[in-house]
Amino acid sequence: MPDDLILKSAMKNFLDGLTSEVAEDVLQLLLSLMAAVLEFNPGFRKNIAGFNGRYQFKSKDGHITMAALFKDNRLEVVRDKDIPDPDITILFKDGKALMGYLLSPKPDILGSILHQEVSLDGNLNYLYKFAFMSKRLQLMAEGAF
Amino acid sequence: MGTITLTDIRLADQDLNNLPLLKSLRQKSLSAKTEVCIERAHYITTFLRDMAVRDEPMEIRYARAVNHFLSNKIPLFPDDSLLAGTTTSKPFGAPVYPELTGLTIWPELDTMSTREKNPQFISREDTDVLNFDVFPYWMEKNILEATRAREGNPPCMKLFERIVFFIASKAGTISHTVPCYAIALESGLEWLIAEAARHEEELMGKGSLSQDESHQLDFYRGIQIALGGIVAYAARLSAKALELAAQETDPARRKNLAAMASVCAQVPARPARTFREAINGLWILQIAIHAESINMAISPGRLDQILFPWYQRDIADGVLTIQEAMELVGCLWLKLNDNTNLVPETGEELFGGAGTVPAVTLGGINENAEDAVNDLTYIMLRVTELLKTRDPSMNARYHPEINSDRYRDRVAEVIASTKSVPAFYNDIAAIKTLENQGIATKDARDYAIIGCVELSASGRSYDASSSIMLNLVSALELALYNGTRPITGDEQIGPATGTAASFATFEQFWVAFKTQLRWLIGEAVQLNEMMGRTHQGFLPTPLLSALFEGPMENGQDLIFGGARYNSSGATHIGFADTVDSLNAIEKGVFIDRRCTFPELLAAMKRDFEGDAALHAYLVNRAPKYGSEDPIAVKNSHNLLQFLYQTYQGYTNYRGGRYRPAYWTMTNHAGQGKLSGALPNGRKAYRIFASGITPVSQAASELAPCLNAVGGINPLHIPGGEAFNLKYSAIKDKDDLQKFSQAIESYFRTGGLHIQFNIMSYEMLIDAKAHPENYPELLVRVSGYSAYFKDLNDAMKDEIITRTAYDLKTGRSVPFPVQQTGMLPST
Repeated sequence: MPDDLILKSAMKNFLDGLTSEVAEDVLQLLLSLMAAVLEFNPGFRKNIAGFNGRYQFKSKDGHITMAALFKDNRLEVVRDKDIPDPDITILFKDGKALMGYLLSPKPDILGSILHQEVSLDGNLNYLYKFAFMSKRLQLMAEGAF
Repeated sequence: MGTITLTDIRLADQDLNNLPLLKSLRQKSLSAKTEVCIERAHYITTFLRDMAVRDEPMEIRYARAVNHFLSNKIPLFPDDSLLAGTTTSKPFGAPVYPELTGLTIWPELDTMSTREKNPQFISREDTDVLNFDVFPYWMEKNILEATRAREGNPPCMKLFERIVFFIASKAGTISHTVPCYAIALESGLEWLIAEAARHEEELMGKGSLSQDESHQLDFYRGIQIALGGIVAYAARLSAKALELAAQETDPARRKNLAAMASVCAQVPARPARTFREAINGLWILQIAIHAESINMAISPGRLDQILFPWYQRDIADGVLTIQEAMELVGCLWLKLNDNTNLVPETGEELFGGAGTVPAVTLGGINENAEDAVNDLTYIMLRVTELLKTRDPSMNARYHPEINSDRYRDRVAEVIASTKSVPAFYNDIAAIKTLENQGIATKDARDYAIIGCVELSASGRSYDASSSIMLNLVSALELALYNGTRPITGDEQIGPATGTAASFATFEQFWVAFKTQLRWLIGEAVQLNEMMGRTHQGFLPTPLLSALFEGPMENGQDLIFGGARYNSSGATHIGFADTVDSLNAIEKGVFIDRRCTFPELLAAMKRDFEGDAALHAYLVNRAPKYGSEDPIAVKNSHNLLQFLYQTYQGYTNYRGGRYRPAYWTMTNHAGQGKLSGALPNGRKAYRIFASGITPVSQAASELAPCLNAVGGINPLHIPGGEAFNLKYSAIKDKDDLQKFSQAIESYFRTGGLHIQFNIMSYEMLIDAKAHPENYPELLVRVSGYSAYFKDLNDAMKDEIITRTAYDLKTGRSVPFPVQQTGMLPST
C-alpha cells in the first residue's frame, strides 16, 4: 500500500477509535498512528530527532500495559510489558480518561483530578512533549494541519 | 515629610477628556489581545546552549545570557506612549520562561490561540521555535525536573503534584518582591557597575581567594555583565526612537520620539534629571528585571515617594505641569499592563483572570514617622480613578494617628468611584508586624506591598512571598478521615491520627488536626527548601540583586541570602471554612450533641442528602468566624497562632523565617471544587471563602464582622492578609462618609488590611449572564484586581455570593432567593 494510503487508513482508524465505545483500544491506535506518521512523514519525524524517551502506560485496573520507546528517530511500541527506567509512567483509569486528558479540546482538568482519572510519576516534560505530538496528530487526522 | 500644594486634591478638573493621550492608550490597552512572546526564551536558550562557555561559573554564564537577550531585545514603539520600552516584543505579550513552568503550555501550542477562555495567540513559526528549539533543551533542566532528578523524586514532590494539598510555587516563580529603584535612578547604572567593579578590584587585590571570596568575585562580575545588558537595551531604544523620529511626519509624534531618544540616552545608565527621565528610567528597569525573573508580582513599590523629588523639582522649575505629570503617570500605569502571564488551560481553572500584579503603594508615613502623603500621591490616586485598569495593583497605606482624614476620605472616594481599588492598609498594624519579624523600625516604616497583599521592607527584604500555597481544608480532611482524603481515596496520605469515633473531646480532635497540619507544613517547607537550592544552582539573579540593599555590600546574590532581610511566604486556602468546621464540630458534636462525630461524617458523605435538620443546624446555629461568638473567636485565634508558631520555627535556605499569610488568588474557588462536604454545612465541590474573609453569607452583621477580623493579632499574619468586604452601593455623601469611618474604626480595632467590591448581587449576576455589557468591570479577587469577564465561573460565583452589606443599616443585604443555589451551603 502506498505511504499516503497507509497514513490515511491509520488516521481514519484513530479518529474512529476516539468515538468508539471500545476506548481501551484508542491508546494502541494512537501509538500505531504515531509510529506510522513518524515513519513516513519527515516533518513530523523532526519531533523526535535526537530524542530518547521511555513512556510507560498502565491502566489502573491492570488490563492495559503498554510502553512507547523513542530512540534513533523511531518509535517502538511494547505491549503487555513493564519497561525498566521509564522517564514517566502514566497511570489512567481507562482509555477514554487518558484520551480525554491528552486530546480533549476543552479538557476537564478539575474533573480529571476529582475522579482520579490520570496520575503521573516521573518527568512531566516528557508527558508535555508526548501530549503535543498526540494533539498534532489528532489535528492532522482531522485535516486541520 | 509630605508636601501638599494642590488646591484641589481630587484634581476634579482633570479627566480623560482633557487627557486624550491617556484616553486613547487606555482604549488600546483594554482591547489588546494576548500574544505569546518567545523572544526571551529564544535568546536565553540559544545563549546557554550554543554560546556559553561551559566551565564559566553559573553566575557569569547566566548574567551573559541575560545580557545577550537585553542587548538583542527589539526596541518596540507600538503606540504613542510617552515612555519608551516594552516588556515583550508584542504590544500585549505573554513571555515564556522555559526554566520555570513554560513547558506546561507545550501540549496546547496548537490550540491555545483559539481556546474559549482567555486565548493567547502564538504563530505557527513561534510554535515551531518552542517545539523544536527551545523546549527540548529544558526537558531535564527546568526547576521542577532538576529538583526531582537531584532529590530522587521525593514524597513531598509527589504530594505537591496531587495539586490538592499544597502548591510549591518555586517551580514557577520567585519574583514577588519590591526592588530598590531609587539608587539606580539617583546614581545611574554606570555608577552601580563601577561599584561592582570596585569590589571586584578589591578582591583581586587580595591575591589568593577563599571559596566564598571567589563566589563574591563571580557575583560582582555578574552584576557588571547583567547591568551592561540594560544599558545596551536603553541605547537601542534611543537609537530606534531617533530613527523613527527622522521618518515621522506628524510633528507631535516626531517631538515625542525625539524626547524619548534623549531620555533613553540618559537613563537608566546615568542619573535621572527630570521627572520624565525618572519615570522612564524606572520603567526600563522594571522591564529589565523580567529578563531575569518571571513576570509575577515584581512590584515597583512606593512610587509617590520614589518619584517625588523629581516631580517637586520640575514643578518648582516650571518645566512640568500637573497635567503632564498625570500623563506620564498614566503612561506608566498602562505600560505596567503591557504583559500578562502565560497560562495553560489548568491555570485558567485555578488562577484565571490574574494580571502580573505589579503592586504600587501610596501614602502612609515615612522613615521618620511623618505624614508621607504628597501631591504625587493625589495625582496617582486620580490617575487610578480615571484609568481603572487591572494593573498596577494599587495599595494605599494609612496611619490613623498621622495621616489626615482628608487623605483617608479621598482614598475612600477613589474606591467608591472605581468600585474596587485601591486596597487599604493600616500602618500601625503593618509596621508593628514587620518589626516583630526583626525589621528595623525605619525600614518597617518604609514598607510596600508585594503583589497581592504581602508586606515587605522595600528594596531591603527578599521575601519570596508566594513560596507555598497550602490548603487548610486538606489538613482538616486528613484529620477527619484518619490521614486519608475523600478525593485521594483510601490511600494513607498523612499520619494515622484516629477515626472520628475515637475522639472523645474536641481537644483530642484539635490535637489530631494540628498533627496533620504540622506534617503537611513540613512537607511543603521541605519541597520549598529543595527548590530553593535548585534556584541557587541554576538561576542566579545578579541583575535583581544590584537593585537591592545588601547584595552589593555583602557580595552575595539575593538567592543566597544577600538581602538585608530574608523570608519565605506561605499563604493559606480555606481559612474561614476550616475555622467554621472546627466550630461546628466543637459545638454540634461535643457541646450540643446534635449528632455523633461518625454521624456527622456520614451526613457529609451523603452531602447532607436526607439530613436537612442537621444541615440547617450546621449552617444557621453553629458559631461562625466573622461573628463575636467566643467559640469562633477562640478557634480562629488558635489556628492563626498555631500556624504562626509552626512556620516561624523553620529557617529558610537564605537564613530567613517562614511567614504565614492569608490571600488565595483564585485558588479558593479551584480547591473548593475539589473538596467534599464540610462540617460547617458547605456542600461538596462548592467554593471556599477567599483570603481571611468570613464564609459568604455567614456573618450577617457588619460591626461584629469588622470586630472579629480586626481583632485578629496581626503579628500572627506577617505575610499579609486579604480581607474582602462587599458593599451593595455607596449612593451619596452620607454613605461615603460612613464608608470612610467604617475603615477608620476597623483600623482602630487593629485590622491590617481591607479591600472592597462596591457592587450589588443583582449587578454581578447580570455581569455573569451578560459579560458583553460589562467589558471593563474591575473586581478585587483575593489580593489582586481582575476584569470580571476574565474570571472562571467558580470565581465569578464566589464574588457574587460574598456577603454584601448595606452601609445605612450595617446589615447584610438578602441574597436573591432565585439564586440561592449558588451559595456554598446549598
